[in-house]
Amino acid sequence: MTDARPRLADVGYDTVVIGAGLAGLTAALRLAEAGQRVAILAKGVGATHLAPPTIDVLGYANGPVDSPAQALPEFAAANPEHPYRQLSIELVRASLDWFKARLGDHGYRGGLDENFFVPTALGVAKPTALLPETMAAGDLREGGRFVFVGLRGLKDFFPAYLADNVAQTPLPGRASVTTRVVELAPPLGEARDVSSAGFARRFEQPAFRESVLTELRRNLVPGEIVGFPAVLGIGGAREVWRELETRLGHPVFEVPTLPPSVPGIRVYDTMTSALRRQGARLVIGSTVAGAETGNGRLEGVVAHTAGRPLTYRARSFVLATGGFASAGLELDSSGTVREPVFDLPVAGLPGQNAPLFEPGYFDEHALSRAGVAVDESRRPVDDEGAPVYENLHAAGATLAGAVPWREASGNGLSLASGYAAASAILEVIS
Amino acid sequence: MPTLETEVLVVGGGSTGAGVARDAAMRGFATILVERGDLATGTTGRFHGLLHSGGRYAVKDPVAARECVVENPILRRTAADCIEDTGGLFVSTRWDDPGFGDDFLRGCQATGIPVEEVPVAEVLRREPRLDQGITRAFAVPDANLDPWKLVSACTRSATEYGARILPYHRVLGLEVSDDKVVGARVHNEVAGDELEIRAELVINAAGAWAGQIANLAGCVVTVLPGKGIMIAMNHRLVNTVINRCKPPSDGDIIVPIRTVSVIGTTDVRVSDPDELEVTPGEIDEMLDEGEKLVPGFREARALRVWAGARPLYTPDDVTDTRDVSRTHTVLDHAKRDGVEGFITITGGKTTTFRLMAEHAVDTACEKLGVNRRCRTHEEPLPGSEEERFYWLGARVRAQEPVPNSEEIICECELITRRQLTEAIARGRPAGLDDVRRRVRLAMGPCQGGFCIYRATGILHEFEHLDHQAANSALLDFLQERWKGVQPILHGDQLRQARLDDWIFQGLLAVEHLPE
Repeated sequence: MTDARPRLADVGYDTVVIGAGLAGLTAALRLAEAGQRVAILAKGVGATHLAPPTIDVLGYANGPVDSPAQALPEFAAANPEHPYRQLSIELVRASLDWFKARLGDHGYRGGLDENFFVPTALGVAKPTALLPETMAAGDLREGGRFVFVGLRGLKDFFPAYLADNVAQTPLPGRASVTTRVVELAPPLGEARDVSSAGFARRFEQPAFRESVLTELRRNLVPGEIVGFPAVLGIGGAREVWRELETRLGHPVFEVPTLPPSVPGIRVYDTMTSALRRQGARLVIGSTVAGAETGNGRLEGVVAHTAGRPLTYRARSFVLATGGFASAGLELDSSGTVREPVFDLPVAGLPGQNAPLFEPGYFDEHALSRAGVAVDESRRPVDDEGAPVYENLHAAGATLAGAVPWREASGNGLSLASGYAAASAILEVIS
Repeated sequence: MPTLETEVLVVGGGSTGAGVARDAAMRGFATILVERGDLATGTTGRFHGLLHSGGRYAVKDPVAARECVVENPILRRTAADCIEDTGGLFVSTRWDDPGFGDDFLRGCQATGIPVEEVPVAEVLRREPRLDQGITRAFAVPDANLDPWKLVSACTRSATEYGARILPYHRVLGLEVSDDKVVGARVHNEVAGDELEIRAELVINAAGAWAGQIANLAGCVVTVLPGKGIMIAMNHRLVNTVINRCKPPSDGDIIVPIRTVSVIGTTDVRVSDPDELEVTPGEIDEMLDEGEKLVPGFREARALRVWAGARPLYTPDDVTDTRDVSRTHTVLDHAKRDGVEGFITITGGKTTTFRLMAEHAVDTACEKLGVNRRCRTHEEPLPGSEEERFYWLGARVRAQEPVPNSEEIICECELITRRQLTEAIARGRPAGLDDVRRRVRLAMGPCQGGFCIYRATGILHEFEHLDHQAANSALLDFLQERWKGVQPILHGDQLRQARLDDWIFQGLLAVEHLPE
């Protein structure tokens, strides 16, 4: 790059984090809280906007997991290449506590010892370790009489189908669940097709809530637990949810819907606000596509922004660009897998000419576990296990060895590995 | 066993069978059609969607070319709603012998194909993504033809003329009595029971499966299934059908159809039309050939790959299926094998399906001792009465006047809730894959990532399904989709597929649905 003009970002940071999903936000916020000068460079918002807000540490390992704390040691032993092998239970627990404290406004509940079992939008009782208070009443383990609320105009939630499945879902302890459905026709004006974010904005308007409350109230029987699609407000979600609970006189909970994830946006908003308060710089819309290196260290990264390439220099770097879903990993038409930012070695691939995918959708596919392997300090390593750069760390879905969408371990791994990357950086400094 | 009686029983619900059923019903025969799966799921629903001008056969197969020359304008008139008039080009790339252009021109003139050499600059202006190194180009009246719409229109018309169309009815056996086929024993694949259909005449229109059906009456019909693979690329990389101007070979056609472009094809002799494996080598070849026509083809998003089996009838042993004529044959098994009441129509291609049906029903008339004139070349199919071609912007135009006036269930293909429920109601049973073919549900870039959850919810509600039926509809769809996407997953399409994994397995936990 021969650009003689002064480069605005040539200022130094303590740490530059690439990626603004849960892993990147976690690493950045911890470092900023520790007094570091932090910049986050991200192509766009991360998987928070796609995924539910629950922190799934380990939901499935040969069937549903009741207690991640009990299941993890055996799971890690059986999967030696899995990221949980390198993340101790104490560290995972500390990351959950840290997250609960940072997301205080969301009233996160739970921990490592017991999974909740909450309905998905298909009505599967899905295990998860932490959930926001707006989802807590959906825990199916104790059984109960559940009412699922449909909102006409929302095409991403089918309460009747969900309720049919919930009624048939095997539950731990043979809890007894009954389900039914109430379909509401809230006032949408001329609109017939409203997204979950559109409903969330409407729920923040008192008049809209009032009409929902009026219509719903006369349809409830005492003792019922009321499940809404997760569209109960964005910034004002806590107030919306409390008002519904108080004025209905029933426990109310949210069921995550198809993307965009309204409750995931809440998590992103809270974490990025905290980052800004800590003085961190968040640059969304910048693609990192180059590095300046020297003596086995990363000196800076080159970010393509709307204007021109900018170099961000820092003492440490965190790669948290996600997996294939976020283009943190790429597969080309000739079958080559790449990590596109630093061209890091990719681990967990099958041998030459071995198929990457199997014929059954639910088969174990060879490509699923591909990713970046890291050492104890969370640094990407080459085939010999030596760090590629002394000061580059990796976290989140970029890591090799997991099938997080299937294990129900995605947010848990992102949180714990982001937390661990920050710890590693802080240890080096102290 | 319940018994149905009819004059004509048609076996096979592809374009040929549907065409035969319509023609027979229009000529006043009591007609029943049976198909083992959904309509148009054999070869018809698995071709590239090209309405041939005849150009592809101009040099090597003039008989087939002349048939196309006759049928192309007839279909443009009678099946306009199933056709988008894209026009076609034969282009000489830098890899092709420029001299072939002269052979091609002569072949077109000899067979009557309307052809015109077009200046290269003009072609590149019209199709700017084409390789800049092309040396010659010829315009011909190729177009695209939506196979599902075509078969659906034929069966609708047949029904209006009194025919009964029975999808998901598999033929278990043909009843032969005194060297005469008198009916068939069929299995209702959905309800699970058996049915006897007595008929005066059975017309075997089972295409690549015609040999198997003929066998049930003790007749030997050699149909060589010629496997052809096709890949649907996201978007319209070209807006005109593009053919390489060279002797027919692999990967030399790109057909823009609806929201995608389909590249095809290969021709490999296989023994079983139900075992059509797509190999990585074949995919690589398609992408390489595509690259020669449209630079950057490899980096475009490949949505789905599938293979179809051409029904190539041959009286003798032939080893290279591409050398078998693409024309068709009507076999009267009375003359050929001494078995009365039984006709096989095989060979051919979708462009000439109407003519094939006409010839088959002519033979039927002869055998049944009546003289009734064919009218399918005159009477438009339902939906095509106004002779207006399908237009790609139709669905957008329908939504535009009042945006947000209806729920859009599939954003990629702009399908409203009403269109979806109409498609479900159009034919039962309605699996999600059947609905997919009826309205192109989930055929866009996300391949159902968003709309299939919604469509399952709507199906559950609309058809009053229990949880098991709705869940298996969803799981069947996911598996069927995986079959079509996994061989070509790479680049941005893998990214899309992984997002779908996160949605279906992560968010929804579809793998743990209750039994």
